[in-house]
Amino acid sequence: MDAFYASVEQLDNPELKGKALAVGGDGERGVIAAASYEARKFGVKSAMASSLAKKKCPHLIFVPPRFDRYKEVSNAIRNVFYRYTDLVEPLALDEAFLDVTENITRHSSATAMAKDIRKDILEETGLTASAGISINKFTAKIASDMNKPNGQKTIKPHEVVPFLEQLPIHKFFGVGKVTAEKMKRMGIFNGAHLKAHSEAFLRTQFGKSAGHFYNIVRGVQHSPVKAHRERKSIGTERTLRENIHLQEDIEAMVSKLAKESFNRLERSQLFGKTITLKVKFSDFTQITRSKTLESTIQSEEEIYNEAHELFFKEPPKKSIRLMGISISNLLKNEEHKPPSPEQLLLDF
Amino acid sequence: MNFIVSSSTLRKGLQQIGGVLNASNSLPILDNFLFELSGQDLTISASDIENTMRTKVVVDEGKEDGKVAVPAKLLMDILKNFADQPLSFSIDTGNFGIEISSDYGKYKLVGQNAGDFPKGQELENANEITISGDIIVNAIDKCLFATGNDDLRPVMSGVFFEFSEDKLNFVATDAHKLVKYTRTDGVANKSADFILPKKPLNLLKQNITSEDSISINYNDTTVRFSFNEIELTSRLIDGKYPNYEAVIPVENPNVLTVDRISFLNSLKRVSIFSNKTTHQVRLKVAGSELSISAEDLDFSNEAKERLTCNYVGDDIEIGFNSKFLLEMLNHLTCNEVILEMSEPNKAGILLPVDKENDSEKILMLVMPVMIR
Repeated sequence: MDAFYASVEQLDNPELKGKALAVGGDGERGVIAAASYEARKFGVKSAMASSLAKKKCPHLIFVPPRFDRYKEVSNAIRNVFYRYTDLVEPLALDEAFLDVTENITRHSSATAMAKDIRKDILEETGLTASAGISINKFTAKIASDMNKPNGQKTIKPHEVVPFLEQLPIHKFFGVGKVTAEKMKRMGIFNGAHLKAHSEAFLRTQFGKSAGHFYNIVRGVQHSPVKAHRERKSIGTERTLRENIHLQEDIEAMVSKLAKESFNRLERSQLFGKTITLKVKFSDFTQITRSKTLESTIQSEEEIYNEAHELFFKEPPKKSIRLMGISISNLLKNEEHKPPSPEQLLLDF
Repeated sequence: MNFIVSSSTLRKGLQQIGGVLNASNSLPILDNFLFELSGQDLTISASDIENTMRTKVVVDEGKEDGKVAVPAKLLMDILKNFADQPLSFSIDTGNFGIEISSDYGKYKLVGQNAGDFPKGQELENANEITISGDIIVNAIDKCLFATGNDDLRPVMSGVFFEFSEDKLNFVATDAHKLVKYTRTDGVANKSADFILPKKPLNLLKQNITSEDSISINYNDTTVRFSFNEIELTSRLIDGKYPNYEAVIPVENPNVLTVDRISFLNSLKRVSIFSNKTTHQVRLKVAGSELSISAEDLDFSNEAKERLTCNYVGDDIEIGFNSKFLLEMLNHLTCNEVILEMSEPNKAGILLPVDKENDSEKILMLVMPVMIR
């Protein structure tokens, strides 16, 4: 979606249309969550400090965010997506990957389909969207930024490699600020430069990420569109106001964390079997200890007892600045059955 | 090849061996009985490759020795519908045409070349043991129900025959339950063992009576049971039988003695209320009271009964699959049974108190269903 939060605000309040608008707090420490295209002309960007934005654009109008409303619009958009494919991987409220390999709507091309999707979104929400169409998630995402706002770009299979060769290195997926700097020092400024290096060489420089860099610049990305991003774990952690080391303080903390993580489990209607305790010490070293139970966790006490045992079986000597408990090995409510009696087997 | 035979004699012979035939066969020849006439002796065979069974029928009149394969289903079906009467078979061994004449009329069918019928398994370097039918009948009756059905562990799908110089053991287990049946009135001249599959066990069960004398010939791959006029040759299950002795607990300090029929009937009633998947019943013993209970949380069903018993040991609560207990109690004939236990997560051992036969020992073992 184009300038999503700002566009929703302009849609709901026509007085704001055509005006430089920022969603976010305008206080001393406020940060811009989204800026309208009108505001962007003045150099206002998302994640910019509000104070700086005000300097760049003195007549900037600040609107507090209304996330419930954005969520509502987001659902409307997603419903459009699901008419075209079941394989929708939401990336944010206003962004998603769609795998349209299986062409259930019988469009002549993905490009034509993207046009229709954008048309549907405009008709149903009054908002404009941009699309990128290509052979994998990374190139599609890059393409979607090219003709913003209210546009789309298709990078056809035979265009992918030449396109990537000219692409500035910092645009590559997995290349952050630090890696980009490092690559530039090595004379890698775009895809073609990166492509000139062997995988073995990249390995010496970038370790585990080498394979990814080697492949992505050749248009190879084996990352499927994941229709359901499932939660792997649920839990909570706290950085303590003051470091603690007394047993009673630790126990109180464990009890608090156990209560909170159990509440979260209940709220999300999930059941878990593995309890992980994370402890960060005053010297910033950190340990994690975990235990997998035979059946799913049923109570707060269970979490407390296990976490307590995990901690005190080998009590660390340093004082603690952070503690966390997380529950993994999650099962959904409907998959979960109460522990059933188990038929034992002869030990042959 | 011509003969005259009593329809009921022939039917009886076919029924003895008909169990070998499979409902569907990949080899059409296996849908036939093999008839071999030699003088007045008509030898009839049936085979499913793994098992070959033959029997001998004496015909009233035989002319021209010969052999032919006769379609089994057609023959059995027509024989079922005759009152006892002499049937005259006339077979053209050239084109395998078979003509049967009865009091009522004529029936024609076409057989197959006897040469296509599989040759029975050879039995080279065989050992021999002769035992009474009573042993085999009882061993099969006590063990067969405890065999497993797991294709991944074929050795447990049969009954383990273990012969030694002082006793014969027959063992079956599916890893949940185990039966060991021992006889000391039959011995072998040297130790040997083999695993006999379910099908031949059932065929033996159908045909052996306690009065028969059974001669068993066996080598590593094949066994042949011969009794009366019947001969059953079967391929054995290849593999090593699990070390069953190792799983029979020795120390079982908690000993419950209870009337078998009362226990059985209680279990029948209570198990109706048990969970349909686990069939779990709980046995709780304290003092001289045995309480049997079951519940099915899915439907809020529950049942509880009490029985008086003799009990030596610590109070215990242990869960079992009621189906297993019922099967085991049903396969015992004694008035009272002993249930030996140690822990709720260790096997329970069921033993008969009173024995019909002094040379017989029965041990049944069942693994608990853990109570949670």
